Amino acid sequence: MAVGTAGRLWARIGTGVAIAGAVGLGLVAVPAGAGAAPNLPPVSPEDLVASVEKANPGPLNGTVELDNALGLPAIPGAPDLANGTKDARVWSDGAGKGRVALPSAQGEKTLVSDGTTAWSYDSTDRTATKKAVTPGEHRPEAADPTRSAADAIAKLRTTSTVSVDGTAEVAGRPAYELVLAPKPTERTLLREVRIAVDSEKRIPLRLTVLATGSSDPALEVGFTDVTFGPQDPSLFTFTPPPGTTVKEAPQGGPDHGTNGGKPTVVGDGWDAVVIAKRPAQEQPSQGAPDLSRLGTPVSGSWGSGRLITTAVASAIVTDDGRVAAGAVPQQVLTEALSK
Amino acid sequence: MTTIAGTTAETGTRAAAPLGRMLAAEVRWVFRRPRTLVTLGLFALIPILIAIGVVVADRSGGGGLIGAVAGNGLVLPIAALTVALALLLPLAVAMAAADAIAGEAANGTLRGLLLAPVSRLRLVGVKAFGVLVVAAATTLTIAVVGVLAGMVVVGSADGGMVTLSGTTLGLGAGLARVALVAVWVVGQLAAVGAVALAVSSLTEHPLVVLASVLGGLIAFGVLGAIPALDWLQPWLLTSGWSAGADALRDPITLDAMGSSTLRALCYAAIGVGFAVWRMQRRDA
Repeated sequence: MAVGTAGRLWARIGTGVAIAGAVGLGLVAVPAGAGAAPNLPPVSPEDLVASVEKANPGPLNGTVELDNALGLPAIPGAPDLANGTKDARVWSDGAGKGRVALPSAQGEKTLVSDGTTAWSYDSTDRTATKKAVTPGEHRPEAADPTRSAADAIAKLRTTSTVSVDGTAEVAGRPAYELVLAPKPTERTLLREVRIAVDSEKRIPLRLTVLATGSSDPALEVGFTDVTFGPQDPSLFTFTPPPGTTVKEAPQGGPDHGTNGGKPTVVGDGWDAVVIAKRPAQEQPSQGAPDLSRLGTPVSGSWGSGRLITTAVASAIVTDDGRVAAGAVPQQVLTEALSK
Repeated sequence: MTTIAGTTAETGTRAAAPLGRMLAAEVRWVFRRPRTLVTLGLFALIPILIAIGVVVADRSGGGGLIGAVAGNGLVLPIAALTVALALLLPLAVAMAAADAIAGEAANGTLRGLLLAPVSRLRLVGVKAFGVLVVAAATTLTIAVVGVLAGMVVVGSADGGMVTLSGTTLGLGAGLARVALVAVWVVGQLAAVGAVALAVSSLTEHPLVVLASVLGGLIAFGVLGAIPALDWLQPWLLTSGWSAGADALRDPITLDAMGSSTLRALCYAAIGVGFAVWRMQRRDA
């Protein structure tokens, strides 16, 4: 059958629609590139750090992405530490109440704190764990870029060269890039820590850890979207749904799990080494990672043990039950162990 | 086969036939095929079987979406739709698309349709509508039977739905979540159906359509599972197919469902556009 004029037109339109679909697919598939670095008034590093310490962002919600390229060896029983990206959805009322949702493909872990009681709910086994918290205590909210960046600034300020290195756009908001680089006397595996600070609210939006000898971040945690504004108060309360097993968390306080004694810290700043006693091995607690087969054997005047190295940190597990770890080369660890 | 008699007999009136009547005729034609009805009946069994399995199995056992169904019946339709979306629903849609053009060609009835004074565009539109109706009917069957089986066999928590985030939604909100997932599933199936229709316009063997759609889905699944090819993920239709679980989170997050719907629209445009282009040139 001959193709009529109208038919030819429709064939052309059909082709056009198909091409538009293909182009649209490309637009959907390829993420929008980072916009040009925003123009912001210059700020001195000291002022920026001071404003970060004073910052009070108020209520907010957002999505946080953790991109882990630490290169930790596969640890049986702790698959969460392997390389990869993870998302978390966070809500905060800006005054001590918070909610964090850690979605997995077919489940979710939810952490809710109303300031006096912290609940954690796991949808895969439908258990809710309740724990009393004292107001003002730092909640162990996983993957909070604001908290971890503020901690990093406080810990590293005195042993770092602090500078402001341009601007960036994070979660659609203009931000200053605050860079903490170790002073030359620091013996560390890290090159620098970059913190993107929101230009208006002055809260850290992204924390990036870069190791020596690599241009790709070893660890990056930051908001992919963030909204400031009042939050629904019902987000910060939790009622265990029907069919849930409710457990009380052991009231051990913050020192629970350190039955091996308080860890000692040798050195300070970037090359600090933490030395801890390994808990006695009479019965390996359920879920605790088994470290006995990891790493390479090392020995020296301090004894012998196994060395575990990653992109940003090393650790030595000695045969006499000590663990030394830090963002430092092996030599610094062995020196710390010999002290 | 019934239509060909109608087409030739009513050639004169068909030209003036309003679109509505043509669409109604196509829907009647689709539902007069026994295999469509058998498919719908079998699909109604999926949620029922899952419900019985969940009730018989120990309540504590099992993670994943199916595990979340225990004592929480309104999750059942969403879990059943997610399970069926992997292969069964695309199979039903591909079957309808294979019958729509390649099947007519194999029966020799396509020639009559092409010769009828109906524009080719309208023909593709009517056939695409028929495929969409099958997609909607199969999805609706699973959703409705899923809600009923969930409420009756599994029972629901306080008459509502417990979300993955540990909150309890009322019956209305729970049903709205089910409806949202159903609409999203139909969107994904429309993309599968459009691509199947494009393949169907190329061949006169219905089996080729089935094989290429199912083969394509399996290939997409394999490509999506290779870590070195994760840059390919945003291009694959199947990579967003676990987003149905997001409807069970509270507050709900629509990002994954939204992006996979956009992707499905693009696939649908490619498929329908190609089918229109091809049908303008097709002889029989």
